[in-house]
Amino acid sequence: MKPQRLTSSQMLRDLKEDLVRRRSESGTIITVCAGTGCLACGCESVTAAFRAALQQDLSGADVEIRTTGCHGFCERGPLVVIQPEGIFYQRVKPSDAKLIVERTIKHGDLVRKLLYRDPLTGETIIHERDIPFYSKQMRLVFGKNGFMDPTSIHDYIALGGYEALAKALFTMQPEQIIDEVKKSGLRGRGGGGFPTGRKWQSCRKAKGHPRYVICNADEGDPGAFMDRSLLEGNPHAVIEGMIIGAFAIGSNDGLVYVRNEYPLAVKNLRLAIAAAREYGLLGKNILGSGLDFNIEISRGGGAFVCGESTALMASLEGKCGEPRAKYIHTVEAGLWNKPSNLNNVETWANVPLIIDKGAEWFASIGTAGSKGTKVFALTGRVNNTGLVEVPMGISLREIICDIGGGVPRNKRLKGVQTGGPSGGILRISENGSGAPGDKTTGETEAVNLIDLPVDFDELSKVGSMMGSGGMIVLDEDSCVVDVAKYFLTFLQEESCGKCLPCREGIRLMRNILIRISEGQGRSDDIDVLEDISQCLADTSLCDLGRSAPNPILSTIRYFREEYVAHIEHHTCPAGVCKALVSHAINEKCIGCHACFKVCPSDAIVGKPKELYTIDQEKCIQCGACYQICNYDAIDRVKRGQGERVQRRARELWKPRTKAEPVAAA
Amino acid sequence: MAKVAIKIDGQPIEVEENSYVLEAARTLGIDIPTLCHYPYVTPYAACRICSVEARDGKGWSKVVTACNYPAWDGLEIVTDTPRVLRARRVNLEMLMSRSAPHPVLQRLADRLEIKEPRWGVGDNTCILCGLCVRVCDEIVGAHALTFSERGIFRKVSTPYDQETGDCILCGACAKVCPTGHIRMEDADGRSVIHKEFTLGPNAAITVPFRQSIPNIPKIDPAQCIYFVTGGCTVCSEACPKDCINFEDTERSEEIEVGTIILATGFKAFDAARLKRYGYGLYPNIITSVECEMMNNASGPTGGRVLLENGEQPRSIAIVHCVGSRDAHTNRYCSRVCCMYSLKLAHLVKERTGAEVYNFYIDMRTPGKGYEEFYERLLEENVHFIRGRVAEISDWALDPSEEGKLVIRVEDTLIGVVRRIPVDMVILSVGLEAQPDADDVRRMFNISCGKDGWFLERHPKLAPVSTFTDGVFLAGACQGPKDIPDCVAQAGAAAAEALALVDRGYVHIEPNTAAVDADQCSGCRTCTALCPYSAISIVADTLVAQVNEALCKGCGTCVAACPSGAMQQKHFTDEQILSEIRGVLAYV
Amino acid sequence: MNLKVDTVTEPEEIISDIVKGYQRRPNALIMILQDVQAHYRYLPVAALDLVAAEMGLPRAQIYGVATFYRSFSLKPKGRNHICVCTGTACHVRQADVIVDKLQRDLAINPGETTPDMEYSLETVNCLGACALGPLVTANGVYYGNMTVAKVDKMLSQLGGKGTSDDSATEQAA
Repeated sequence: MKPQRLTSSQMLRDLKEDLVRRRSESGTIITVCAGTGCLACGCESVTAAFRAALQQDLSGADVEIRTTGCHGFCERGPLVVIQPEGIFYQRVKPSDAKLIVERTIKHGDLVRKLLYRDPLTGETIIHERDIPFYSKQMRLVFGKNGFMDPTSIHDYIALGGYEALAKALFTMQPEQIIDEVKKSGLRGRGGGGFPTGRKWQSCRKAKGHPRYVICNADEGDPGAFMDRSLLEGNPHAVIEGMIIGAFAIGSNDGLVYVRNEYPLAVKNLRLAIAAAREYGLLGKNILGSGLDFNIEISRGGGAFVCGESTALMASLEGKCGEPRAKYIHTVEAGLWNKPSNLNNVETWANVPLIIDKGAEWFASIGTAGSKGTKVFALTGRVNNTGLVEVPMGISLREIICDIGGGVPRNKRLKGVQTGGPSGGILRISENGSGAPGDKTTGETEAVNLIDLPVDFDELSKVGSMMGSGGMIVLDEDSCVVDVAKYFLTFLQEESCGKCLPCREGIRLMRNILIRISEGQGRSDDIDVLEDISQCLADTSLCDLGRSAPNPILSTIRYFREEYVAHIEHHTCPAGVCKALVSHAINEKCIGCHACFKVCPSDAIVGKPKELYTIDQEKCIQCGACYQICNYDAIDRVKRGQGERVQRRARELWKPRTKAEPVAAA
Repeated sequence: MAKVAIKIDGQPIEVEENSYVLEAARTLGIDIPTLCHYPYVTPYAACRICSVEARDGKGWSKVVTACNYPAWDGLEIVTDTPRVLRARRVNLEMLMSRSAPHPVLQRLADRLEIKEPRWGVGDNTCILCGLCVRVCDEIVGAHALTFSERGIFRKVSTPYDQETGDCILCGACAKVCPTGHIRMEDADGRSVIHKEFTLGPNAAITVPFRQSIPNIPKIDPAQCIYFVTGGCTVCSEACPKDCINFEDTERSEEIEVGTIILATGFKAFDAARLKRYGYGLYPNIITSVECEMMNNASGPTGGRVLLENGEQPRSIAIVHCVGSRDAHTNRYCSRVCCMYSLKLAHLVKERTGAEVYNFYIDMRTPGKGYEEFYERLLEENVHFIRGRVAEISDWALDPSEEGKLVIRVEDTLIGVVRRIPVDMVILSVGLEAQPDADDVRRMFNISCGKDGWFLERHPKLAPVSTFTDGVFLAGACQGPKDIPDCVAQAGAAAAEALALVDRGYVHIEPNTAAVDADQCSGCRTCTALCPYSAISIVADTLVAQVNEALCKGCGTCVAACPSGAMQQKHFTDEQILSEIRGVLAYV
Repeated sequence: MNLKVDTVTEPEEIISDIVKGYQRRPNALIMILQDVQAHYRYLPVAALDLVAAEMGLPRAQIYGVATFYRSFSLKPKGRNHICVCTGTACHVRQADVIVDKLQRDLAINPGETTPDMEYSLETVNCLGACALGPLVTANGVYYGNMTVAKVDKMLSQLGGKGTSDDSATEQAA
């Protein structure tokens, strides 16, 4: 179909009807997820294999191959979903393409081995919508991802795209739109949680021209990739949101600041902007409404701090990403000292939904203080890692245990980290009581936050924050001191260095944690950490510094016993801190040789079917053997105790006979 | 701009809306400590030391930085709450952990009662206050400095951390750096500059030297940024009396006087003319004038005698008769050099304890106490070698001469050519007439003698008068002489001038020339010829006029006048002709 | 692609084209420098001077920007650019073991380049493919679920003539 410039909302409606009609006439669609996760798993070869197979067997048939944005279930990629039935195939290899075409497309049969099998119930599930990972989610923002090719504006329009824009431009006034957004209760999804409608209003009221509408796509939190998937999978949603916002605020200039590390997002966004221009949805006289609006893409240079609004604007002005004081807000004086409205990708993507379905509908989802849905990147020690979109107010338990499928290998759930380096680690446990497991040595706050509702204020109250949506699950094998140290290392690298407390405070706190993790902790370390933390919280220039103490303060609050173990007993209860742990093979070893293969320092000695041992001198405590052993044969004991374990193993070990069943861990 | 009412530490004050709280506090006499603040650049708020608590009086409070917090109506600032003091203390301790100890930090530590910084001290002299960068960007406009890297590796750099042509060597960054991390250094590593009137980095506004008269600053337009880029004018903003006027220009003024005393002084002989003495070729060869500057307590070294590398010399040579008593330069004796050379010998020996050698031809120490002074020096073990120095070079013929300046001289008292290695050489330069003496003498209608000194009326009987009445001489412009003689001459010239003024009349020649205005055509033949500048042309009538006070009755103009309009009184043609007729009547 | 290390040949035209392509907009400075770096494999000082001149910005500002952002390098990078993700999820999955292994095999630290200019090693904070941690990219190709053994495989693939176009897809145990 030739691209056409749409100069009225009627033309848009006509185009949609035309597209819908054509599509409902067509038959099967093979959607192949082409998000970065699946790309890394080689989905391009899968797509090519499908094309080749169709070419061979079904050329001329009404079968479309559509590469889509991220479906979210990255753990199971490459993902192939056959529409319209919604048959869900996971971990598809290129060689499976022919099989699928043969069996499912031609004959409507299933390829059982590629179906999803629930690890908890053993049940095989056919349809995407029935898979627990998806069924508990409320995919609104990500709703269209699985159905549309992000590079096709037709797909977006056919699914109802830009209808909200037409509604806003032709049936609403700017102040009305702002009111609607305010009533919806939408709060910023980038981490700050500031009420979006109020921000738009302040910007609209501010004096000065031009006004800028900016999208913050500098998703820097490690472990967060929601914005990436959204920009890759459905860039038009963000564009549409920005145009509505520009109309409401009175702006003609839009900018998207994208991280440099997201080349596919940049590419797809660029294509989407070009397509929108072609169709008269960007540029001059949008849809014939008289609104002029353009969007420019700016790439970042590799600095986490540029996710902070004033640093982002400094970067846009061609300077170093140094934040400045926000005593005068950026909505009044931001980019080039003009009123600037900055919102996160996910926030913008929510706007068309609110305008389309109304503020009341949006406000009916979520809690009193946090409305709508939130996309989380669920990663770490959890079975189903990937992107999940859930209504606000859902409990952590539901996310981690139901959607996430719990902790793999029956390990004990220990904590969850939200909000990235600015957030905290909350103590959670699957047993309702919050009793400490056998690997901790005493505790202070017997707390279990697993039933905490996910909500901006609830999370802040307990010492963490919503953040941009990174949610990292920790199990008994994760050491919170190590995690806190990791975050401080991250922040030390990313600190811009302008203000004293952040630059020096993070360095000093990190040095203390390094000492603690090496068994050199001092009795006043926790007090000193709290002292420095207070100074950073009070006097840091920007939120990077102000929230840098959060990982430390939350771990001291909920896992004090682990600090005590490190400092006073020189042990790492989780067995992670290298200087405090020794790895040793116990008598449960069956000689499977798996650990030998993964040891990076050739420290493991042994022959198949015999008792293996770890050379205590060569071992670098990396834990690879512990990760791979399925028989619980690797012990992580206090430093120096390794030889004792292995001596005992030598006494107790018996070679396995055929009659003996093996108790796998 | 609207005014708002705020309170600082309970004291109310009205300020402009959105002005910064720090300035308001300062006008109330409340001293909030700062490290990265400077009044003439935009606040940076990097050090956080100026943190204070902002309240609204209704329960809200927040820790903010005073240097850039904008005032709003109803704002209450408290500068010394425990929270704020604690934050300042921890911040300073953290800063000290990376910084080399420095009085600026120590003073602040004492004020905040930090006994021992918990994390020790570091060795970095830069405290990352950013003052140098801001000054270079905002005031100077050269943009030669920036912050580079980030986080704990942040530092101040020139582009690519190399020497750059963007820097205009103004020294503003060094001036504003609180810890001395930025210094101005001579490019080839010399720490002492022996040239005249140089006091270090060429400052745009400076008091030329500490004892200058008048003791007020002057602006050097070649160095001043305002004259280069139109920016800055910080000095004018800082001056509380508003004394600085960049638009000031030179003015010419006409003053009518009756007598003139010329005291235009002398010029020191340019030692570079004598190439064999190596002045300007080798380091540590200076003239006596430069040595005087160095010895002065208000001079560039504070009175210490130093070599160019900053060390004290252990041997010094003083060479007499540089540019005097010399067939190739000046034949005359400059009269003062022997005495000042002895003075310098005594001074430098006292200050450095070095071996001092004086190379002389004759020792001229006339008058009261001077010969005795010479004898005293002999007792102080100053070495006197009679012989004109032939050559000074740095060629070493043996290890004892390595790195030294070698004086080659014939010691005529013992008849041996000697090589004497020394660390420093002082050339006793002679006195010369000013190079523009000829132009000056024309202006005042007097003469110069041989060697360019102004010509006195009589070398013995009228040493301060000139052939032109009313113009007198005083001091070295008349000939080389020392200070007592200059003072005496000055008195004499003043007395003569005053005598003229006091008397109220002058004796003049009776036989002065006079112009018959009806005959005079204004051809100006006479004005050019008059040796006493006594004739001028009246502006409106264009007729010559004789100043009877100046005219000496020489008769030149009378003889030259083509129309006979110029006649000499009591000596007119008529009178001479009638005398002749009278004599001839007897014949 | 030829690696221009010391000399910058015909730079005026190249850089002028790049800057004009962005209409000299100051908000495009980072992208301009990225394009210059893509061309030369690093940012030569001479090129930075030219960018400053074309953009009408002080050289000090260009230098400050070039050293502030992680994606820029003023030193030449190797032919193979290896990036290990050290985001939280990958860290929790032992990404530091992978970094150690690469450090030992290539005998360089993260941020450095091998003397023969073959390999550059870097760590990056989260590439956004957290489900596949530990993650390594080599020349833009993603290698997921890395293990120590797979590092050997990847290096041998890179050491050859070309780079692999099909990444490993084995699951973690």
